[in-house]
Amino acid sequence: MALIETHFFSTSLCFGTDLNVFIPTPNVDELSVEGEYDYFHDGAKFQVLYLLHGGFGDYTDWMRLTSIERYAQAHKLAVIMPSASNSFYQDMALGSDYLTYVTKELPEFCRKMFPISTLRENTFVGGLSMGGYGALRVALEKPEEYGCVFSLSGALDINATLEQVLNSKEAPSPFNPYTGKPSAPAADPKIVFGAASVAGTDADLFALAAKRKAEGRPLPRLFQSVGTEDFTYAGNRSAYKALTDLGMDVTFEEHPGVHNWEYWDTHVQRALDWLPLANNSVKE
Amino acid sequence: MAHFDLSFYSPSLRKNAKLVVFLPSMSADDFLLDRPVRYFEPGAKYQTLYLLHGSYGDCMDWPLFTGLERYAQDHCLAVVMPSAENSSYENMVFGEEYLNYVTKELPCFLRRLFPLSDKREDNFIAGLSMGGYGTFRCALECPENYIAAASLSGALDKASTKTSTEAHSVKMPKRYRKAVFGESGEIVPGSDNDLRALLKKRVDEGAKLPALFHTIGEDDFLREGGEAYIAYAKELGVEIKYTLHPGVHDWNFWDSYIKEVLDWLPLANDMV
Repeated sequence: MALIETHFFSTSLCFGTDLNVFIPTPNVDELSVEGEYDYFHDGAKFQVLYLLHGGFGDYTDWMRLTSIERYAQAHKLAVIMPSASNSFYQDMALGSDYLTYVTKELPEFCRKMFPISTLRENTFVGGLSMGGYGALRVALEKPEEYGCVFSLSGALDINATLEQVLNSKEAPSPFNPYTGKPSAPAADPKIVFGAASVAGTDADLFALAAKRKAEGRPLPRLFQSVGTEDFTYAGNRSAYKALTDLGMDVTFEEHPGVHNWEYWDTHVQRALDWLPLANNSVKE
Repeated sequence: MAHFDLSFYSPSLRKNAKLVVFLPSMSADDFLLDRPVRYFEPGAKYQTLYLLHGSYGDCMDWPLFTGLERYAQDHCLAVVMPSAENSSYENMVFGEEYLNYVTKELPCFLRRLFPLSDKREDNFIAGLSMGGYGTFRCALECPENYIAAASLSGALDKASTKTSTEAHSVKMPKRYRKAVFGESGEIVPGSDNDLRALLKKRVDEGAKLPALFHTIGEDDFLREGGEAYIAYAKELGVEIKYTLHPGVHDWNFWDSYIKEVLDWLPLANDMV
């Protein structure tokens, strides 16, 4: 199990950025059983999951707050965890080009540096909350590159989320004890999207999926999971309906739970079970 | 500039190992000055320097105490910095196999993870103090691995470390030295741990040796031992390039003269 904390200069962001990369390598249990470590050899490539954090988070969240390393090792899956600030994985209206970073620069960098597959069937993207939205945003940006997406408690119905933010009743807008005032919400529509509403734009996942369908491009398969007590629950129900109405192949799960790491640590395991994993290295 | 902190299970060490890997990539300067770069060309690989820390150190020493990453970026050189405790980069008599780790496991393992060249002409090793010893130890253990090996202030001659009254020598726990070298806690004369004996053995075998380089400070307590070793090598017909500079056994010296080492290495200054 190789964990590679990476720091490099990003031309998309115009500053140095960080990512955690996990590559399956034989652990002591596997090395004790002949045949169980054969997946790690010269020329071996790995199926790869781009795993996105939520609002207020960064590239260390998944490693610190779940056991993703253990789950990925069991599946022989490489995992790439970038940092994307509170960008909603957009090229921000007032800020940095995170969509370009995650969809273009990051795959190019990682494919050069690490032994990961470049095939669509071996490339996945998933995330939680803001990262669940980001995962589908990324996959629909480059539908030829990602076969499968998962969203845990994702803000998939972005217009509903923005309304929640603007009404600032349900979506979290944490208090700043140093200024004595509430801080800006993770999704500040003006900063991220340049408008209070994104209806009909590429940031609107339903509009973007419809656009890709009209263009005749492949739609990714989606695994969607949300806690029944989660403040994104209603938005997830409406997203499920909107996306299946468009003909997208969506697996929907709801379980008792709220918007927290206990839910994500449990249900990322179901998401991995849902992905078409080789549980081994692959040829290319 | 890409800096990787890597941790993984090492079969040679039978525990998790930590190392730092530096791979040149697009820097802010490359970006701002529109420099032509070849980092992402298909099939392009990095020349690689294995760079060893000294006793009392670890894999963070070179990145923390020197401008190494900046110098390596300028030379388009990958740098691998392992941690080896105070093992002298030996297969410890009672303990971990650090020699196998550095000379066998790391090259094989890292070439599966990163785009590193596997050609001898693209692989180098260097280190300071204990890591200077380790450099020659590794280079003479597996001369087929490396085209060049450089010692900065290396403890090349066992006599000099044995008689030293420096804190480096006297504060090293005796029990650890025994774990490394066996009951005596010292390098056994004539063994492969004795760089004189090992060099003679390789010369007698007619082995193709890497180019060897040693540099040290004028007031370094290891200076005489290094000079004695170089004289001995010369008797065997092995030329070790040698430079002496003002300085002592410290990071000012190593930060300055790692640059001399990089200039001396046969570098492409580009992807290969």
